[in-house]
Order: sequence, then C-alpha cells, then structure tokens
Amino acid sequence: MRVIQTESLRGVTARWLFRPHGAEGGEVVLGQRRVFILPTRAGMGFAALLMLLFIGSINYNLSMGYVLTFVLAGCALIAMHLTFRNLAYLHLAPGRANPVHAGEEAQFELHLSNRRRYSRYAVWLGFMGDGLPAREQAFDIPAQGVCPVLLQAPTSRRGWLAAPRIRLHTSFPLGLLRAWSYWQPELKVLVYPHPEEHAPPLPATDAPQSEDHGAGGQDDFAGVRAYQAGDSMKRLAWRQIARLGNDGALVSKHFEGGAASELRLDFSMLPEAMDVEARLSRMTRWIIEAEARGLPYAFRLADVSYPAGIGGAHREACLRALALYGKQP
Amino acid sequence: MNSSTLRSATLREQLTRGLPRDKSDTLLLIGACVLVMMPHAWHLPAWATLAASALLLWRGWITFHGKRMPTRWLLLPVVALLMLGVYNSYRTFLGREAGVCMLVLLLALKLLEMRARRDLFVVTFLSFFVLLTNFFYSQTIATALLAAAGVIAILTAQISFQYTGIHPPLRERVGMALRIFLLGVPLTLVLFLFFPRIQGPLWGMPGDAAGSRTGLSDSMEPGNISELVLSPEIAFRVRFIDAAPPTSALYWRGPVLGNYDGRRWTPLTRTTVPPSRQVVRLSRPLRYQVTQEPSGQHSLFALDLAATVPRLEHNPVRLQPDFQMIARQAINERVRYDVASSLDYKLQADEPALALRDWTDLPAGFNPRTYEYASRLRAQATSDLELVNAVLQMFRTQNFSYTLRPPRLGRHAVDDFLFSTRAGFCEHYAGAFVVLMRILDIPARVVTGYQGGELNKIDGYLTVRQSDAHAWAEVWLAGRGWVRVDPTTAVAPDRVERNLASALPRSAISGLLALEGADGPWLAILQKLRDNRDAINNAWNQWVLDYTPARQRGFLQSLGIDDPDWGTLTMLVLTLGAAVTVLVGLPLLRNRQKVDQVEALYRSLCSELARQGLPRAPHEGPLAYRVRLREAPLPPARRAAVLDFLELYEVLRYGTSDMLSDKAVAAPLSQLKSLLAQCR
Repeated sequence: MRVIQTESLRGVTARWLFRPHGAEGGEVVLGQRRVFILPTRAGMGFAALLMLLFIGSINYNLSMGYVLTFVLAGCALIAMHLTFRNLAYLHLAPGRANPVHAGEEAQFELHLSNRRRYSRYAVWLGFMGDGLPAREQAFDIPAQGVCPVLLQAPTSRRGWLAAPRIRLHTSFPLGLLRAWSYWQPELKVLVYPHPEEHAPPLPATDAPQSEDHGAGGQDDFAGVRAYQAGDSMKRLAWRQIARLGNDGALVSKHFEGGAASELRLDFSMLPEAMDVEARLSRMTRWIIEAEARGLPYAFRLADVSYPAGIGGAHREACLRALALYGKQP
Repeated sequence: MNSSTLRSATLREQLTRGLPRDKSDTLLLIGACVLVMMPHAWHLPAWATLAASALLLWRGWITFHGKRMPTRWLLLPVVALLMLGVYNSYRTFLGREAGVCMLVLLLALKLLEMRARRDLFVVTFLSFFVLLTNFFYSQTIATALLAAAGVIAILTAQISFQYTGIHPPLRERVGMALRIFLLGVPLTLVLFLFFPRIQGPLWGMPGDAAGSRTGLSDSMEPGNISELVLSPEIAFRVRFIDAAPPTSALYWRGPVLGNYDGRRWTPLTRTTVPPSRQVVRLSRPLRYQVTQEPSGQHSLFALDLAATVPRLEHNPVRLQPDFQMIARQAINERVRYDVASSLDYKLQADEPALALRDWTDLPAGFNPRTYEYASRLRAQATSDLELVNAVLQMFRTQNFSYTLRPPRLGRHAVDDFLFSTRAGFCEHYAGAFVVLMRILDIPARVVTGYQGGELNKIDGYLTVRQSDAHAWAEVWLAGRGWVRVDPTTAVAPDRVERNLASALPRSAISGLLALEGADGPWLAILQKLRDNRDAINNAWNQWVLDYTPARQRGFLQSLGIDDPDWGTLTMLVLTLGAAVTVLVGLPLLRNRQKVDQVEALYRSLCSELARQGLPRAPHEGPLAYRVRLREAPLPPARRAAVLDFLELYEVLRYGTSDMLSDKAVAAPLSQLKSLLAQCR
C-alpha cells in the first residue's frame, strides 16, 4: 500500500516538475527551464569530502586547508555551470524514420545541433519508457556543429509508432553533477505487419491475360537490355556487366512469356477463419516475395485496390495499407 | 640515427600518441598522485617513501605494459606488511603522523586496486586528502603553489576519464582543468574571507604538539643566547599603530630571571612576600600589534613596560609581577595580539625591603674574587647609583670585548669572566652585572628578550629575529624602582644603537650574511631583496595563514560590520557567493554571437523603421523589404536614404565590389552610417 502511495506521489511530483507535454513539433531548444541538475553519487561523496576537509582544517587550524576546501567548493560550483551548459541550449530536431516490419528495430534519426562556441562532450541519449531496453548512447557535438543520432526502439505491433520519450543527460566535465532533460520529438515510424514465416507460396494467378507483344514475362530468357530504374537486383546480368568492363553500365536480363498473367493479392481471398493479423501477415510476406521475384502484383485490401505493379512506390503503398488496416490513417 | 635514439623516439611516440586512451588516462592519474604524494617524502620514514614509490612504479608498469592487476590475495599480505611497518615506526595507528603515513600508503594501494569507475573517485578524493595533510608540515607560498598544481593535475585526470568519444589532447584537458580552477578562485576568495570561522581544535590531537621550535627559553646559561643569535629565523613581527620609538628604546621584555645557582639563571618561582604590581606610567601608552611565530614557549613579548595584557583566543595570558607575560599554553602556532606599552615608567618604587630580599639571593661558595672586588667598590661609593655606574665604567674602560665565541668559563664563572677572559656576549655581561649588584646588596635581576628589530621599508613592519635575542639587567634603586641597565652597551654601544652585526667584529660573523647590516651597495641590494621577500611572506602570513576568527572579526569591522553574528555572516557569505557566482557563471552560459558591423547597422535600421511604424516582416529579405518601402508613407528624403541604405546593404552582403558606387568603395561602413543617420 505504502509502496503504491509513494509511487504515485513520485509520479505526481515528476509530472509537476518535468511537465511532460505532448510531442513537440519541429526544432526544440533545451532552455534553462527544461534542464535539471543534481549531484551524482560521486558528487554526494565530494560534498562529504569537502565537509571532512573543512572539519580537518578547523581542527588543525590549517589556513591552507580552508583555502583547499574553498577552492574545491569553487571548482564544484564551476563544474555545475559547465555540466549545465554542456546540455542546455542544445537544439534538437527530429529527422527521418524509415518504415520497418513489426518485430524489427525502428530507427529514429535525430539531429542534435550545437550553436554555441564550445564543444559538448559525452552527452548521453536514450529512449525511456516501460519495456524499452535501457540502452543509451554517448555523443560528442562539436562547437557550432550538428551531430546526427540514430536511436533504436523495438516494434511489436503494426501501425504508427511514435518515438518514445527521450532522456538526455550528461555529467561532463567532472562527473560530480548530472544534468538531464526530456524530449518528446514529434516523430513516428510506420510499422508494417510482420511478414509471415513459412507462408504458403504465392497464390496461383487466376485467368490468363491476353498476351501483349513485348510484355515482360517471367519465364523465358529473352536477352539483356540496359538497366532501367526499378529493375530488380536479381535480374541484373552480372556476367554481362563484368564483361562490359568498368564503364559502369548496368544491364539486366529480360524475360518474356510464361506467366504474363497477373498476380493478384487479395485480402478477401484469404480464408475467413484466419485471424486478421495473420492474414495481413501473409499478405505482407507475399508482397515481399513478389517483389523479390520481380512479379508484378495487383493488390486489394477492403476498399483499397491497386492495379498490378512492382517497385518501391507500389510496394510501399501496399504495405502502408496493410499496416494501417483498421487503424487511423 | 642509432638504436638508442630510435628506441627513445618510439617510446616518446608511444607516450604521446601510441598509448591507448585508458592507458594514458591511468598514467595521468598516477602522475597526479605522484605530484600530490611527493612533498610527503621529506618527513615520512624512508621505508614508507620507498614502499609508496615501489607501489606506484608497479602500477605504472602494469599500465604501461598492459599487465593484469594483482589479485586481492597478492595485495593482502602487502597491506598487512605495510600496516606492520606503520606500527613499528609510530607505535600507534592513531595520531597525525601515523595517519598521514597510512593515508599515503592507502592512496598508493588504491591505485593498484582500481577496477570500477567508482574507484576513480575514491582515488581522487584520497588525493585531495593527502594534499590537505601536506599543510601539516608546510604552509609556505611554495607549498601553496605545489598544491595548486596538484589540484589541477587531479582535476585533469578526473576530466580525462569522463570523455566517451572524442578524447582531446592533453593540453586541452589541462586547459579545461585550469579554467575550472581559475574560475573557482573568486568564490574561494569570498568563502575564505567571509565563511564563518570556528576556532579549532574541535578535539584533542594525540601527538600533535609542535616539535622543537627555536625561541628564547626561560632560563639562561652561558652559551644559549649566543647560539640563538646565529639563527636568522623570525621571532615576531610588529606593526606600530602609534609612531615607532627609536631603536635604542626597543627592549622586548621576555622571561625575567632572578634565581642563580652559580651557573644557570632561572625565574624566581617563590617570593617571601607577594610583590605589588605598583607602576606609575609617565608616558602615554604606545599601541602596536605583535605577530609572534611559534616558539614552543609560554612567553609573549612587549616593549618595556606593558600597559595592557594581550588576549589570545582560548589561551589566557597573565601578567606576572615582574611584568613578564605568560600564556597558559605554549605558543605552538603563530599568534597575533594587541599590546600597549609605556616607555617611561616607575616600577614598584615603593616596594618594601622584605619583598626585595629575594632579588639579592646568591648561592654560597662561588666567585670569591668578585666578592673581594665588590667590597672595594662599596668602600669607594656612596650610593647605589654610583655603584652601578662604577661597574659600567669598569666594563667600558677595562679591556672587555664583545664576542659570540667566548672562552670557556670554570666553576667560578663570574670571577673567570671579570678577571681573566674578559670576553663575552650579552648574557655574560648581564649575568656578571647582576651577580655583582647582588653582592653589593642592590636588588637586581636578569631580563631576557629581544632588542631592536629591523624595519621593513616595504610594508612598515618591524621584524624581530632570533638574532636580536638579548639579555640585560634591572636594578632596584630607592625612589626609582626597577631601572633597566644594559651592561652590554658599555662594551658595545653599537649593539643597541644599530644592530648585532655592526657590534661584532667582522671575523665573528663571516658566513653569517643574513646578519649583515647595510654596508656597501651590493649589501643594500641584498637588504632590499630580503625586505621584499619578507614583505611578501609577511603579507602571506597576515592574510592567509593567520586569518583566524579574531582576524575575520577585525576585517569585518573594518568593513563596517560590527560584531557580526552567525546569521549575518551566513547571509553575507550567501549574498556575496551568489553575486560572485552570477558574475563568473553568466559569461559561461550567455551566448555571445558576434555580429559584424554591417549586420548591426542593418538591424538598427530595421528597428528604427519598426519604430516609425514600418516593421520588416519576418519572412522579408532586404530586397523584398526595399520593394515594399518604395511605396511607404515616408518623407521623400528619408525614403531615398532608406532605399539607398538597403541597396548598399544588399550589395555589401551579396554583391561584388565592382557593384559599389565610388563613394561607397572607399568607406562602405561610414556611408552606411551616414545613410542610417538620414533615416532618423
């Protein structure tokens, strides 16, 4: 009971003191009011040391002892200012966050920029929150420079994942005091569903399509042509590229015929008995599979429908639809 | 390049660049510890110094070669052995000396047992402690400088361990430590001057009593003053509040000796009747302040004759009937006291004969020839004063000489001195004179103390050294009381008029340059140098080492804060501390962006126009602003100036020099300034 009370009391105090507001858009400056500073355990030890030195100076009437005690006290006070300014007035800006599949680590890019004329050393950054591994990274930010930072957070569910609250702290230069601050960047990452493992093969294409001349197929090797953006890596004709020498021209293999029929990935065609997440998971796997094999695919998920296509943009649109299925866009 | 230079070059390279970071950090920490422990080598037992050095070398070797740290099982016997050594040397684990020894060994051992990050702080904190214990032994300016270097070295080591990524070169890290140190100095000053002081000690210190000190002892036998005068050490310093008296009046009264055993003079401990303290002061008391060096004795010193009793903190001082000032506890620290003296006085003029009987006692069976001589004198003279003068006349006219190295005297010391050797120091003259007086039934006693002193022209302090130690006599004459008689002046008048060095023959002081008076140009320079050094040392003593609670009260009174209590003092130190912190801290936190002059002028134009109701929109550049201002409701002349200004600014900022008009090329800034003036 008491434990719960103190916990909640601590929570209330922390809320009042550290004012966790919502996500802050754009660049944030760690102003004076946002940076907190307290002695570390070593700092407490240092305070005790000062007391002992002081008592020793009194007892032995050591004038120089007083001087030493006061010099060290002065140094600690200066260290407090230096520790504070090592963190304060830091400009923080969110960067990019590339989508990931559930279960992978989301990478949040952040930019720490130091507009002051002194370098900042040993600034520790890390996400805070329940279930997040206590991993912190240290960074040095040069004077009037920018330091790009990549922070990882694990993902478990599809949909949007907002960047967790970030704690920044430093105890540079003497390690006697620790300054810290919090930052909730307005940064979110799209988490695609987890691709099903051991998924069944791609569904069979339904009706054979009318054969167009020159339409790219999958089965018959028809020669090589110059590389075009969007060609799969698997189709690069490495042997020919090697033979052409090092003038940098890429060629890809060209196939014709065969399965010129359209691959259709339709959510509604999956058995109803399956869990929604499992079905989304399978769709995800198939998209990855189709992309890997260079098969164009049409996509349908509830009222979202894309005609057959292949390549980055198409893939991302499809995966995005899967990620946000049944959620707020 | 031969192999040895090659090897040293690679070693140096390894030291400067090749060493991995953690190694160089650890070596730096070891270096800082060496710096801190080094001064202890002078007073630790030799085995402890060797052991600490060996431990440090071991640690350095481990670090340098990347060996493994010794296990606890290896260290434990070493610790036990060292503790045994401490006990063997001091016969205790308590007390200051044993404590310091253990602390130094502990620091060296801790370096060998430094594993976790936490241990770094243990090592640095221990180093600060060791630094403090240095001050038990020395608190000179040199020690202070060495300690400052130690603090900076420890801070540098501590900083070095805090880096995570970039590890700047040593020079930069030392610079940062130095900066922290220097920025901390103003606050140190405030705390030192205003932090409420408590008079120590808080508890007893076993075995902490000061060691042997030089100073006038409370007995006199042939030889001990002449030994003392070879020491150039300072006995005390005096600052006169009233005008300083002439050198011939500077008799600093110390132990008064009335008991003679045929060889040794000691204080008279028992008197038959309690003596009076009757004194008639014929001149206004002269005020001055004495800063006395530790002497290990109980005497305080004042000019003849003290009119007030000085006060020491926690050490009551009493004025004896013979006007000697005695402190209850020995003076083992530098003390400062205020005294006043009347130089012209009548002491115990109405003393009854019974009370004076003690001052005529002599041991029986000594000096038969002196008795004989005394009876001859007695027959010739009619009054005591005449007898005194007759004896002085004898010293003056017979071939008595003044020397630091008198021949040895036999059992009848006064006989030998007066009739055969006839060479002696002030103690011989004073002693023989008093014996002679007592034989003549004139109450007499020996007074020891210091005579003279050296006025420092730099800071106005009078410095009295051990070499100014002196002994003279006092005789009681009816109607006049105790009168000072200095028989030495009869032999060597210069001793009192000038100083000891000029009174002694040259040969006696060869090699005693410190005693040399101002003779010749190079001696004058030497004298000046010594004055300067003394003045600096004295300022250090007065302001740093002697800044006691009493002195702090005095300082605060001089600032107009009378009788400050704890509350006031705390408020004062907090206020001043905060003010200094703001003064030092603000420049650290403030962001001073350098704005070039062109930009500054542009900004003042913008604010000027904003004042006139035409503010620049945040998104507007100078060009867009200019376009908008073309239609602005401004007087035509001013508008033209504004437009010209913005055009010129645009060119200065973004254009090339050939785009400037002739007038602007020569002095673009002044052109901008004059345009700005026209915009107002």
